[in-house]
Amino acid sequence: MDNDLYKELILDRYKNPNNYGEIKDAKEAEQANYLCGDKLKIFIKTDKKGKIVQAKFFGGGCAISMAAVDLLLDKVVGKSLDEAKKMEGSEIEEMLGIDLTPARKKCAYLGLEVIKKI
Amino acid sequence: MDIKSRFPIFKKYPDLAYLDNAATTLKPEVVLEKMEQYYREYSANIHRGIYGISEKATEEYEEARLKVAKFIKAAPSEIIFTTGATAGLNLVASGWARAYLEKGDEILVTEMEHHSNLVPWQNLVKEKELILKFIPVNVGFLDLSKLEKLVGDRTRLLAITQVSNVLGTVNPIEEIIKRVHKINPKVVVVVDGAQAVAHGPVDMKDMGADFYAFSGHKMYGPTGIGVLWGKKERLEEMEPVNFGGGMINEVTMQNYTLAEIPFRFEGGTPPIGEAIGLGAAVDFIEKLGWDFIRKQEKEIFDYLVESMPKDVGSSSYSQGTIMLLAVNYVHPHDLAQILDSVGVCVRAGHHCAQPLHQKLGLVASTRISLAVYNDRSDIDKLIEGVKKVKQIFGKKEK
Repeated sequence: MDNDLYKELILDRYKNPNNYGEIKDAKEAEQANYLCGDKLKIFIKTDKKGKIVQAKFFGGGCAISMAAVDLLLDKVVGKSLDEAKKMEGSEIEEMLGIDLTPARKKCAYLGLEVIKKI
Repeated sequence: MDIKSRFPIFKKYPDLAYLDNAATTLKPEVVLEKMEQYYREYSANIHRGIYGISEKATEEYEEARLKVAKFIKAAPSEIIFTTGATAGLNLVASGWARAYLEKGDEILVTEMEHHSNLVPWQNLVKEKELILKFIPVNVGFLDLSKLEKLVGDRTRLLAITQVSNVLGTVNPIEEIIKRVHKINPKVVVVVDGAQAVAHGPVDMKDMGADFYAFSGHKMYGPTGIGVLWGKKERLEEMEPVNFGGGMINEVTMQNYTLAEIPFRFEGGTPPIGEAIGLGAAVDFIEKLGWDFIRKQEKEIFDYLVESMPKDVGSSSYSQGTIMLLAVNYVHPHDLAQILDSVGVCVRAGHHCAQPLHQKLGLVASTRISLAVYNDRSDIDKLIEGVKKVKQIFGKKEK
């Protein structure tokens, strides 16, 4: 059993996220984690060339889902929206630095699911 | 009495603290043995087999029906084997209510229903333009102060859980049925007994219900088997929903005649080994005895309540098996995950009762639910896990 799931990086991102908030006049989408009902909303702002210049999230959730989306939004800035949508779940696990059980993958991948809806 | 030694899972995981019994209970050796015996020694189909092992299978399957009937104080002809409580409730909705309820009729449910005793009614309400009304929940209990006002001439059906799967609340089911029938004696009452049957005796003669549904796997039996009990008159009115083999007497090119009750509601090959396993689960419960089961569960529940650190939010409205837990602002998923890391199994989520969580102002919750094999060491491990959660998350500012 993995006692390191709640390591410093994840707890720190959960308690003090970089990208929590809302952006006005941005593209946005929302989805619920059907395991628990938590809702996550993501705002994406792009420049004239279509590159993502700002990304924020809003909503509640477990430490894994909140840390995952916060790290993901760091990563998408500078990419085009299409590039962001092509990202894969394994990249999120890499960012988190942990192996996830199938149930918790749903939590960790929620941010990516929302981006794919934008 | 060492109960854990009777459950083989504890041989594989001697330190397992299994506290998710409202989701499903673990299975005792006697149930597994009885099922294995069917699958190894006489796994023939039931009915009409004119040979030894088929006759044996039929006999054991019907013996299980007798055991279940005795267990809930009903007649064997009123026991329908289903695949679980959900299937039983859906059978009432599709087989009885669909035929007897008309546009504008009212169905009364409660705000604490499991989705399985809500969604089938919502579906019927949409289809037949019925009206769905709710008995409200107030601080963990049903608010019965306005019950009489919710019942009228158009009330045709009351669907209610005996024990809440989230709060553990034991509803005063007989009193509620009496009060509803005093206003309108024609209201047909459907009771979800899934969380009740493993924790205390139920009596179909006294309850006053028309239908009662429960699952085998929440009472030490296998998955895939459940029971719908129905009053004789209601079963005579109810229409089958699964047509095919086993539920007919005679079939011609153009027509068919129905088999007797309850067989007409058991179309297709039933889960035979599972029904036989459920019979063994009934024997298991009856051998332990309700006095022992209730005393054991109460003792451990009291120990749980007294062991829980005072700064941890816990609520319990039950008379003995379910507690909701909140540690600071830690999300239920994180709480359950850390408890898992110390070998403690609890459930986190909405427990198939989203409307109740909306009412309580929660998205999700963490639930502890007991069964007869739980002991003080399980609770000690839980408390150790809760302390670990507090240590990992510290005080989160919010």
